[in-house]
Amino acid sequence: MRFGDYIRLSFDQLRRRKVVTILCALGISIGCAAIVVAMSIGESAAKYSEMQMSRWFKLDEITVSPQSTGQSGDPSAKSEIDEGSLLTSQKLELIRTFPHVQAAAPMQEIGGFQTKLTNGTTSYVQVIATDLNSLQAFGHQMRLGAVSDLPQTVIANFGATFGYVDDKARQALYDKLRLNPYDDEVYKQLENLDRLPANLYQQSIQFVQYDQQSGREYLSPPLRVAGVMKKPDSQTDNMAMNQKIMYVSLETAEWLRKQPGFRPIESDSSANMVSTTVEHYPLVTVKVDSQDNVKQVESKIKQLRLNAMHNLEQKERLKEEFAMMRTIALGIGLFILFIASISIVVAMTMSTYQRRRQIGIMKVLGANLRQIRNMFIIEATLIGLLGGIMGVIFSHWIIWGINGLVLSSGAEASEVLFIAPWIIPLGMFFAIITGILAGLYPAINASRTDALTAIRRD
Amino acid sequence: MLRIEQLSHSFRNGDEITPVLQHIDFQVAKGSMVALLGSSGSGKSTLLNLMAGLMKPTEGNIYINEHNIVKMNENQLAEFRRAHIGFIFQAYELIPNLTVIENVELPFVFQGVSPRKRREKAQHLLEQVGLPDKGKMFVSQLSGGQQQRVSIARSLITEPSVIFADEPTGNLDTKTEDEVISILKQLNKKMNTTFVIVTHEREVAEHTERVLTLKDGRLIEDAVTTSAQAAGSGIGGVHT
Repeated sequence: MRFGDYIRLSFDQLRRRKVVTILCALGISIGCAAIVVAMSIGESAAKYSEMQMSRWFKLDEITVSPQSTGQSGDPSAKSEIDEGSLLTSQKLELIRTFPHVQAAAPMQEIGGFQTKLTNGTTSYVQVIATDLNSLQAFGHQMRLGAVSDLPQTVIANFGATFGYVDDKARQALYDKLRLNPYDDEVYKQLENLDRLPANLYQQSIQFVQYDQQSGREYLSPPLRVAGVMKKPDSQTDNMAMNQKIMYVSLETAEWLRKQPGFRPIESDSSANMVSTTVEHYPLVTVKVDSQDNVKQVESKIKQLRLNAMHNLEQKERLKEEFAMMRTIALGIGLFILFIASISIVVAMTMSTYQRRRQIGIMKVLGANLRQIRNMFIIEATLIGLLGGIMGVIFSHWIIWGINGLVLSSGAEASEVLFIAPWIIPLGMFFAIITGILAGLYPAINASRTDALTAIRRD
Repeated sequence: MLRIEQLSHSFRNGDEITPVLQHIDFQVAKGSMVALLGSSGSGKSTLLNLMAGLMKPTEGNIYINEHNIVKMNENQLAEFRRAHIGFIFQAYELIPNLTVIENVELPFVFQGVSPRKRREKAQHLLEQVGLPDKGKMFVSQLSGGQQQRVSIARSLITEPSVIFADEPTGNLDTKTEDEVISILKQLNKKMNTTFVIVTHEREVAEHTERVLTLKDGRLIEDAVTTSAQAAGSGIGGVHT
């Protein structure tokens, strides 16, 4: 018997029993839609979290530190330094030659400073000391100017060019807030101030350091903004504005530390870095060409008796959590499909009894067991297919409805749900498999119909 | 062509065994048209079902084209029926959701014949039974006589060795009955197909060449009909 004939005969039967067919398909479609929607929510949440992780954490970078440095915060550790485990400039050069390494440079947070422009406006930035020439290799692109070899220059990132406000104006708003902490208008004004752009390029800036003990304010000598970076593509405007960083060379950091009232305010390791730039570094950041190669580079770094840390483990942990979520979602969908499959078994078994005479005639005309069985299985498969198609359509409507609600509540476009292309065939697969499995018993039952009993008219 | 040897069949109802057929022996030559005549309960339908392989006899053998169908399993019987046996039922037994031509094609569908070839053959047979323009209609749109003609066309599509007709005119009026019998006789002659017709009406049986009469499960008479004698055909003799 030809496949086309199976399809035609089965389709004829389904068409004859439209209501039963639609009810069975509806049951399957609910299960299929449940799978697609649940999997899509899981997938969208995973993608969103991954995207957020990529924005906030560099997943293709490795932080390298010496094995015996005082990272633990224990000052006595310094006296026990094993020179072989130091992160020396020779080791740094060696790391740069490793396959898949795009860049490697000391990158150390000096601390947070208030920044003052010549017009008296101020903002706050994080200052990081690094090899400025490596910035571009780390994926930072310049919007204005270029990296300068000259001392006492800084490179500002996109976020560092926002939020320069007169101290008095800011203070006035804080005072208002103190009087009425629930004044949304004031919050909005403060937010707007933080979004005020300033043209920093080639401007003179000064870092302000407060001595908490004496309450005295120290101003650094002026530094020149030699370049301004572009906003990273992976970040939203909001995120970029909140990330205010100024990069200085290692030499400038050293010079800054020597200014009256200035000293690195972070950890002892920072002090190490500044004082031992030539010999060894407390921290080096390594950029790898792809996330896939991070572990390979990490193991090579560890062979140099160095500590290596990256954010991939967090990503993997997140992945595991979402995999579990997906499994639960799939389980819920499959349970609904199982319930739906009972309706098919019942409907098809009923149909078998209703069509006993027809089955008997077909057997008398030469249809064998396999052909009768296949006809019923294909019928059930078609119900599964129809249910799958309906389920995919329903799931699109559901996702569309949820997204409509989410967007109307003011969420960002990146927060909407989506149906990943691989979920649709998965949903269809389960719908069809459910149809086939549910059709097995009625099919076997039908094929066993005794032809003579079926055609006998009493 | 069709040979029945010492065929017996009985039904068991608990401990009680009821014999239905007892020691039946006869042969039917290829291309002949034979009637199985008997009143209700004579065992003629049981004999037909046994010859068609729809039941297994208690004893005896049934040979069709020298194949003993008693030894075949269900799937082998299905294959055999498909190739060698045609059926005509009293109540036509057409599939209502298929068109007339699709009903005629059905045995070919189970054989996996190409749609083009089976359509051509089905159309040809519909012409043979006098329904050349009814192919696209559904069976419910046809009269009883027309439905029986469709059933005849369906039985012939695989060019079977033998066609078993179970009371083929039982549901028809006299005029239509004559038409259907006439078609069967024509096809018998034209296609040289063997027909075994089960009937309880002597008038219908008289249209065939030979009448096998059953009574209480025994073959009591095997006679050449007057119409066959008039035509000069040949098998005679009476078994008691």
